[in-house]
Amino acid sequence: MFKHQPSKNTGSKSWMLQRITGLALVVLMIGHYILMHYHPESGHTYEAVLKRMSFSWYRIIDLTFLILGFYHGLNGLWNIFRDYDLKPWAKISVVSVLVILWIIFVSWGFAIIFSIPYAPVISIR
Amino acid sequence: MEQKIKTFNQKDWLKETVRYKKDPGSWAWVYHRISGIALIGYLFLHIYSLSTLTQGKEVFEAKMKTFLSPAFMVLEWLLFIFVLFHSLNGIRIVLVDWADGAKYHKQLYRASWVIGIVIFLVMGFVMFSHEILTIFK
Repeated sequence: MFKHQPSKNTGSKSWMLQRITGLALVVLMIGHYILMHYHPESGHTYEAVLKRMSFSWYRIIDLTFLILGFYHGLNGLWNIFRDYDLKPWAKISVVSVLVILWIIFVSWGFAIIFSIPYAPVISIR
Repeated sequence: MEQKIKTFNQKDWLKETVRYKKDPGSWAWVYHRISGIALIGYLFLHIYSLSTLTQGKEVFEAKMKTFLSPAFMVLEWLLFIFVLFHSLNGIRIVLVDWADGAKYHKQLYRASWVIGIVIFLVMGFVMFSHEILTIFK
């Protein structure tokens, strides 16, 4: 007969990762806010986005932000579910939904970032 | 004598949570959770709203026009409350876990509110500096 075997995963790795990604996100968020709100146009015009996206390092930062942000957010949601004594089938369902959401939104973000063409850089300012 | 241990009643979790006597740490927990749920919800919306970038300049800027209206600017500023609280309280959690923060977590909670309100007001000035400067011209 099938008997449920409790998971050996205590969650200590995700606990540690939640703190590390959280601290990384605070640093990234400061840069994000300065860039987006230093000037009202900097975050909200197509040219400004194109200009920033001409730098590959900026794309790499954005991709990091995307992956870490969704990991931290969805793992945070999972931490909320963990507070309640869910049945094994419910746990498996919740984790599956969260993982699928992570895959969908991260790949959607990747698609958006890579669809933006590289603009010829005339001047940085 | 038999001792009766009161355990968490999962059916009335909301009633139990409301009734539980809260110190600053409990409030930090409640606000951290609410702001976290709000932020992941916003993150989904954020990717959706930027998806017009793939459709070229006109579509993107038409969409951005709504987000640059004063009502949306104020909403963005209010969203910053969630970002600020979650960031500052997150730093507080890390200090409690990794430094000796458990000894001064209530002071850290109050300090994060003071720092947060200051940054919130500074951010308001930066975001609306153009409007503020035209008023006082």
